[in-house]
Amino acid sequence: MTFAASMLASVDHPPIDWHALAPELIVLGVLAIIILVDAFGGEDRKWAISSITSIGLLVAIVPVVTMAVDGAVRSMFDAAYVVDNYALLFKALFLVAGYIVVLLSTNYIAEGDYWEGEYYQLLLASILGMMIMASARDLIGIFVALETISIPAYMLAAWRKRESRSDEAGLKYYLMGVFASGVLLYGMSLLYGLTGSTRLVDIAAAVSGEAPALVIVAIVFTIVGFGFKVSAVPFHTWAPDVYEGAPTPVTAFVAVASKAAGFVALITVVLVAFPTQPEIFEPLIWALAAATMTVGNVIALRQTNMVRLLAYSGVAQAGYMLAPLAIAGHSATSAELATSAIATYLVIYMAMNLGAFGIVIAMARKTGSAELSSYGGMLNYAPALTVAMTIFVFSLAGIPFLAGWYGKLAVVLALVQPGTWFGYSMAIIVGVNSVIALGYYAKIARIMWIDPAPDGDTTRVRVPVSVASALVITAVLTVAIGVYPPLVDQFTGAESFLTLGF
Amino acid sequence: MPEAVLLGGEQTTTAVEWVVFIIAATTTLLGSFGVIMARNPVHAALSLVGSLFSVAVLFLNQGAEFLAAVQVIVYTGAIVILILFVLMLLGIDTEEDLEDEPLRGQMPVAVGIGVLLTASVFALTQLVGFDVVTGTPEVTAAIRDDMPNINQIGRLLFTDFVVATQLAGVMLTVAVVGAVVMARRPREYQPIPEPESMDAPLSLDPTDQGADNGAEVAD
Repeated sequence: MTFAASMLASVDHPPIDWHALAPELIVLGVLAIIILVDAFGGEDRKWAISSITSIGLLVAIVPVVTMAVDGAVRSMFDAAYVVDNYALLFKALFLVAGYIVVLLSTNYIAEGDYWEGEYYQLLLASILGMMIMASARDLIGIFVALETISIPAYMLAAWRKRESRSDEAGLKYYLMGVFASGVLLYGMSLLYGLTGSTRLVDIAAAVSGEAPALVIVAIVFTIVGFGFKVSAVPFHTWAPDVYEGAPTPVTAFVAVASKAAGFVALITVVLVAFPTQPEIFEPLIWALAAATMTVGNVIALRQTNMVRLLAYSGVAQAGYMLAPLAIAGHSATSAELATSAIATYLVIYMAMNLGAFGIVIAMARKTGSAELSSYGGMLNYAPALTVAMTIFVFSLAGIPFLAGWYGKLAVVLALVQPGTWFGYSMAIIVGVNSVIALGYYAKIARIMWIDPAPDGDTTRVRVPVSVASALVITAVLTVAIGVYPPLVDQFTGAESFLTLGF
Repeated sequence: MPEAVLLGGEQTTTAVEWVVFIIAATTTLLGSFGVIMARNPVHAALSLVGSLFSVAVLFLNQGAEFLAAVQVIVYTGAIVILILFVLMLLGIDTEEDLEDEPLRGQMPVAVGIGVLLTASVFALTQLVGFDVVTGTPEVTAAIRDDMPNINQIGRLLFTDFVVATQLAGVMLTVAVVGAVVMARRPREYQPIPEPESMDAPLSLDPTDQGADNGAEVAD
């Protein structure tokens, strides 16, 4: 037997559960198909690419559903890749968000004379990264998934190549993103150096007990790295410029799906790898969350551009979603509650924020701008859009019985559960911020319902079918979850939602 | 479980390793001096190649075959070649006047920082020991002694980390797709404001120089 043959013979192949990988493999197959259609299909087949993409995303939900019905926790590669209810929920969320973004993009990209095939290829690759992120339970998987999410997003932000603001958005996003990845990678390399393993469960076992200074540095760097990705203050400075410069469907994608993926990674790393170090991560996240919601809301009050306003509103919403993590280290119960609250909020945030960006896309076809004043008099010429936008902004503000209200309720309930001043103070900050936020959300509604049209132009807005269906899906979700919360609760509130490290 | 071997620890060093170390260390230093002393930027870049290549030899000497290969492929193979490309594009005839410092007083500061860094590394390793940085010596040691580390890394990439490996492949493919789009010149811009224009033929504008509508538009 030769040396090479003996080497091959002794490789023990880890068992692979193809059912658990099916959603990712379907998305990968669709990606390959659209690359081929783009390369060999000719110009007259370009229209098919967006249809293939959206159908592919819907098909990929099928194995997610079959696994959810099955209910078993599938673990591969020594618990480095886990498909539990937590992973399944987020996979479904990313697929649905991706589907809605494709609906929002179809006309925008086709009519704007952008590179069409490549747009969907990059979008699908980013979604694939997110789906793997939901299952990744080791540092290498998480990092590769994060880069697969981010790198296509940097390029999509610069997709309007003739606009210097889009170039600026792409470059800023890229530089800040790479910087964040560097910080994150440094924290991760310290963790590996300290513990000798990249698997989160091993890290949890190794860092339990009194933490040496280097562990603190590693944890802080890791959280800061993810802080950039979820646009937490003070690492949020890229968000408004990127949101404004990027094509609006890409903005919606970055603001919702990309941010959700950042949260997934943050929850997984903090609660699976560091559950025994609450005295390090809790104060840090408390401060990040308080600063994020307050700064986001206060700056949003002064915005005159709809997309920048939504960007700062998104920053503030990230603060609400960070808040429950600040008490997640108290006990296993509070960790479970916090995870459920964040997951609930992310699902709701997906629906209402994608909807709001959908309205911006629909209105930009008429007004050509996203200035707040250009929304004046909308009620007269676009009553359906006005009602839909009102639903979305009031849901973002947390008015009962719209979905956003239930998201905030879940966050506050998780915060007060441990009964410590730490949670109570955070809950009060969430409450105060919700009141501040109502100021600018109500301003949008007032402009749409009361103000006159800026130039007296009241021609009707033509909404393409795909954008209209995206708006219907998001509006129905926003109202339905608000009226009947168990719709989302039954998925996020399940026992042993995330396989925790406690 | 084989005895863990500490990098730079108490392991025995053969005569061959000493000779290789002295040669490679000397060429590393000479190359580094060449980078800052050469008047011609191309010479400086080539000195950098020599320096980085010697570092690869040092890695090999330590039994880190994978790092040596990556050092050659990434640094000497890709990064320095990129630097050379830029130099060639900018013109290689210009020689730097080393006396003319754009940043006043940077030389003494650079020397000071260099001495300080060397002293701190020396002090750490002498006073505290070689495991000071991570506190866990096993992490820096070979996982298995009976197999070169390239084989070990290869096995891991295609067994335990196969998902990450395949995903990295997807990421690189898509990065190439995106980079091509980013680098291409925009096509002629024809804004189409309203959806009904989608039904019309692609473009009847004679000034349109778009690559895709040839002469077939005449009815």
